[in-house]
Amino acid sequence: MLYGPRPLEDNATTLAPEEPRADGQPTDRELVEKAQKGDGQAFAMLVDRHQRQLFRLALRMTGSEADAQEVLQEAFLNAYQKLPLFRGEAQFSSWLYRIAANSALMRLRRKRRAPDALGEQPLELAGPRFSAEGYLEPTSTSDWSQRADERMMSGQLGDAINKAVDQLPEDYRTVFLLKDVDGLSNEDIAQALDLTVPAVKSRLHRARLALREKLGEFFEGPVK
Amino acid sequence: MTSPIQHCKECVDLLGEYIEGTLPADRAKALEDHLSLCPPCITFVRTYRATRKLCRSALAREMPEELAFSLKSFLTKNVPGFGCSSDAPPGKPDGEPEKV
Repeated sequence: MLYGPRPLEDNATTLAPEEPRADGQPTDRELVEKAQKGDGQAFAMLVDRHQRQLFRLALRMTGSEADAQEVLQEAFLNAYQKLPLFRGEAQFSSWLYRIAANSALMRLRRKRRAPDALGEQPLELAGPRFSAEGYLEPTSTSDWSQRADERMMSGQLGDAINKAVDQLPEDYRTVFLLKDVDGLSNEDIAQALDLTVPAVKSRLHRARLALREKLGEFFEGPVK
Repeated sequence: MTSPIQHCKECVDLLGEYIEGTLPADRAKALEDHLSLCPPCITFVRTYRATRKLCRSALAREMPEELAFSLKSFLTKNVPGFGCSSDAPPGKPDGEPEKV
């Protein structure tokens, strides 16, 4: 599924808390206030602070570095133009993620990229097997975790991971990559993808379970 | 008193929040009590954690330097006063913000 763009609304019902930064640098809110008064240096600091996470978001959503680059340009320009309308009722980062996500969605829509266009069928979301009483079946409990590092060196494991992640349904894959690989918060992912936080958690967990099964097959062979 | 976790399925269902540290304390305690008695679930937790770690190692991507440079060039060209202290408020060139 492709998520639909959402209107840009800064409509949180409570003021988002913003702690002072440990590094002594101005907070996002302070920088936004300066940028709203025309301080281009403050806006440049905001760009510098958020461009890496926005790049990851754009890359995960579009699947292409070239598209991610254009999404980033469009998103920051859009954010600059809409800055006078930002009232500080949501986190600036969440507001920015929404702008970038909308930009990525518009780009995908224009290109009409078919999900999972590589010809692979989406991975059926596998998971552990349980007995009728709710106990784990032995096939789910082989411990391959200690053997991972040496196999990773060969590159075989990297290929297996890439293939397994590519086969996840798109809406699970994006959530998984943004959270477990890129380190975005559940709240920011929910905001960007127009999901609830429980939906993010649920997709994340199911994606992890499916990937764990695939990695188990890589180390132990397919489950009979 | 919190209800104990009797079966592995319930343990697995709670695992995502447990490893992120967002599981309520009473459920985390019940889950740890179950783990202390259930070697298959201990293995499951290890491989679940390893899955995240391995995927992060294999798939992490950093923003390329040249992309950061071209973004800066683009914004310098398109955002008045980008990178400098300036008196021009943001918005459209005519000063009117676009309606959202």
